[in-house]
Amino acid sequence: MKKTLFILIAFLSASVCTAELPDMSKSVVMIQIVKQGYDYTTPWKQQSTSGGVGSGFIIAGNRIITNAHNVSDNRYIIIKKENIAKKYPASVEFIGHDCDLALLKVYDPCFFDGTEPLGLGELPQVNSTVSTYGFPMGGTHISVTEGVVSRIQTDVYVHSGADAHLVVQTDAAINPGNSGGPVMQDGKVIGVAFQGLLAADNIGYLIPTTVIRHFLQDVNDGKYDGFGSIGVSLFAGLHNDSYYDYLKIPADTQGIIATSVMLNSSAEKVLQKDDCIIKIDDYDIDNDGMIMIYGTKHHMSEAIEQKQIGQKITLVYWRGGQKNTAELVIGLNRPIFDYSRLYDEQPRYVCFSGLTFVAASRNYLETWGRDWMQNIPHALRYLFSNSMQLNDDPLRKEYVILSEILPDQINTYADSFLTKPLESINDTPIRSLDDVKKAFENKDAEFYILKFMNSERPLPIEAKKAHQQNEIILKKYNVPTWAFLEQQI
Amino acid sequence: MKKINNIQSVFPILLFTAVVLSNACAKNRIDITEKMKDSIVYLRISHCGYEQYQPWKNSDITEGWSVGCAVSKNEVITTALNVANAVVIEAKRFGQNEFIPAKIKIVDYESNLALIELDPNALKKALVPLKFSAKYEKGAEVNCYWLSGILQIYSGRGYLDRATVDSSSGFCRTLNFVAANVSDLTGNGQLYCIGAEPLGIACWSNDKEAGIIPAEIINGFLEDAKDGSYNGTGAVGFTTTGLLDPALRKYLKLPQQIQDGVYVSDVYTIGTGSDVLKSGDVLVSIDGFELNSYGRYIHPKYDALLFDYLITGKTAGEKITFNIWRGGKKEKIKAIVKNFDVSKMLVPWYDLDSQPQYFIVGGCILQKLTKTYLAARGADWAGKVEPHIYNYLLNEAFKPTDERKEIIVLSYVLPANINLGYHGLDQLVVDSINGMKIGSMKDVPKAFALNPKAKYDLIEFELNQPKIVLDRAAMQPANLTIAKTYGIDKSVNISSE
Repeated sequence: MKKTLFILIAFLSASVCTAELPDMSKSVVMIQIVKQGYDYTTPWKQQSTSGGVGSGFIIAGNRIITNAHNVSDNRYIIIKKENIAKKYPASVEFIGHDCDLALLKVYDPCFFDGTEPLGLGELPQVNSTVSTYGFPMGGTHISVTEGVVSRIQTDVYVHSGADAHLVVQTDAAINPGNSGGPVMQDGKVIGVAFQGLLAADNIGYLIPTTVIRHFLQDVNDGKYDGFGSIGVSLFAGLHNDSYYDYLKIPADTQGIIATSVMLNSSAEKVLQKDDCIIKIDDYDIDNDGMIMIYGTKHHMSEAIEQKQIGQKITLVYWRGGQKNTAELVIGLNRPIFDYSRLYDEQPRYVCFSGLTFVAASRNYLETWGRDWMQNIPHALRYLFSNSMQLNDDPLRKEYVILSEILPDQINTYADSFLTKPLESINDTPIRSLDDVKKAFENKDAEFYILKFMNSERPLPIEAKKAHQQNEIILKKYNVPTWAFLEQQI
Repeated sequence: MKKINNIQSVFPILLFTAVVLSNACAKNRIDITEKMKDSIVYLRISHCGYEQYQPWKNSDITEGWSVGCAVSKNEVITTALNVANAVVIEAKRFGQNEFIPAKIKIVDYESNLALIELDPNALKKALVPLKFSAKYEKGAEVNCYWLSGILQIYSGRGYLDRATVDSSSGFCRTLNFVAANVSDLTGNGQLYCIGAEPLGIACWSNDKEAGIIPAEIINGFLEDAKDGSYNGTGAVGFTTTGLLDPALRKYLKLPQQIQDGVYVSDVYTIGTGSDVLKSGDVLVSIDGFELNSYGRYIHPKYDALLFDYLITGKTAGEKITFNIWRGGKKEKIKAIVKNFDVSKMLVPWYDLDSQPQYFIVGGCILQKLTKTYLAARGADWAGKVEPHIYNYLLNEAFKPTDERKEIIVLSYVLPANINLGYHGLDQLVVDSINGMKIGSMKDVPKAFALNPKAKYDLIEFELNQPKIVLDRAAMQPANLTIAKTYGIDKSVNISSE
């Protein structure tokens, strides 16, 4: 069954009032946000603003924890306490889009007077009762709903669209506006409400404290690095005697098969295709790729999720009839065409002679609308789906796409190249937007010969004319600068 | 007030003019319904193809109809698409109530024509063959005729709007006429005439326009088919893009005197020009016809046409001359017009009239990749198909090589004990079997016969997808069980060609 998950921010909606809960009113807050994202086709422009309401709660150290999706792309944040009219401006201190968590700081230190920080509990038991607090659909008073923990498993976090971590499923009513609110058991936070399942009755999800603690530990050093991985594709298919025989693995062994190792990843120099990983740190891996952790079976990635980027992890694996042990450093290990959505940072671009180049991103693909995956041009769909297998260039940092053409006489005939990935300029491979800038900065060439992937026909641009027109085009279309490459990849 | 009076006085005059013109048109119209009674037949066709995702099974039987236009005493032509996957064809002619058994003599999906032979013994009265006229009068009124299943001749009309080069069924773009303002939906081989002269047969239609396969194509088809062997029309072996960009022309160092031409953007491994043209050539003229920057030439009768027709208008084996600009020099290249059977494409654009090629082993359905297979995914299939597979169709379909003539995919796995662990694998491109690279369906049984002493068979896929390892000792009984469980009467279908 195809699941449609939604995130739970309420967009300036009607108020629904529930019973007042005095204790929690010292800890649970309402977050009002004004958001404005970027236009990923013409990145110097911003989208229209929108408003939203979410929930959050106070933790030790005068911090407010909430969901990243509540405050991503924010332009203005207000925090409100229940029954107090005063609005407190706030800002994001740390944000983890991969785990949908954020820490907010309030500018007015008096805000925390009379508040009570909530403590973090452990993973709840399945079938135990939990209470959800927050401001569903806005409202002025804290709402509380009760339910049970239905199950705990690894699932996709909708905010990034790609990252998967542990989630706690509950039947406690979780509605838009609940996002970021605490889910309590025995006076402790056991999760942050964050998303629900559209095609089901009362299936809501919480971010468990294992993920929250990872996030909080990560930011201790003053920056957020994110959840890491080992950079290997795995196949849970060892259910067949012949496969054991082929891989020369003892019959009583259980494990998971490496099908490919990501270029430049932590595993690149350690693992190989057809290695059978049987143990990760102290956890035995079964043939479904699961380990016994937190008293039940979870995906082996949970062993990695317990650690921070830069920490080591030990793998035991079979290769060619030999059992081996190796240590790997956990890294970010993102595919060259990242599956995750981007937030908060102005996309980098190069706009030269009206030709606008951006780095390929999911955000750019999503400009094709709701069914973007079906509607995007084939070349982009192919790269997005298979960049790990298709990219054999270890120096590539990203794919560069011709995202927009600002019409001018210099680019009248460039339309057919729109949306295509750029391969080279004057035979120099394009591995990042920085390469595009460098290529156009070279004024010695008569032509800039642009070659695009899967296109034999080049796009020649007369260099002298292009430089002449560039300033005119930037002015005509209000493009602030021809190259914006400030963020590091 | 004056203006209002003027309008009132003009209106009746306009109305009168319209009535007069309408009457004049009606009077000029030549109705040949009577004459058509001996020359057009009704064809009832039962179609039954194959399920693409259970290729051992026939698909549901459907029934269609089309119009046959007599080209001899007992032969008619209709469109190829109307008889695709036909299992039974029966004809009805005016004045004879019972159906006449018929069969396909020649079918060509590139010209979208089929020659159908009616059983002469069942035909009570010989048909009167039509003579298709190569007349082309842009703007002329055209009438169309067809015989219904209840033996009534119907007619409709429209205007001959344009000649175009397009494909109504296959991968070759060839000459078509388009009738505008058509009174009826016609796409089933209805006969179009100018006055009393047959012009062509209908091949597609919407509520405004209808496509007509013109006399020139029909006569060429009949001429080619006359000796019993059919060569087929030429196929283009390269793609071009417009050459409008002055910067590109300057970059290619095209001299001032060459104002037009198209850029050869890709060259196939099959088809006309594939052996002589190179990517980056500028195609200036074909057989003396100069191409403009949009790839069109001026045809003496039809005005601007796409250059494809200079190739698809010829029969395979004829000579052709390309004038090109290559590496700063003008060159004249003589070549032979070539074509190819659709089955020779790396990814055939259609797979009609035959059972899909497949090989089922240990529950793994290995199948030859065709566009028909992919299109069976339903509406908007192109966006649903796995991009690695779709890439073969989009960028490699016309580029078979000696090493790789076909693409073989693992369609899916029929769950059974022998393939436990692999049940979720599907839509993967087979790279090798037992270490042997797979370049065609014929390689598959050869590869499974390799290493007779090995304990297992190994299937490897492209893009580092998981491998499949199957126990040879368990294979034979497993194949029998799987065939019985899933109702498979035939585990292998590989073309002997």
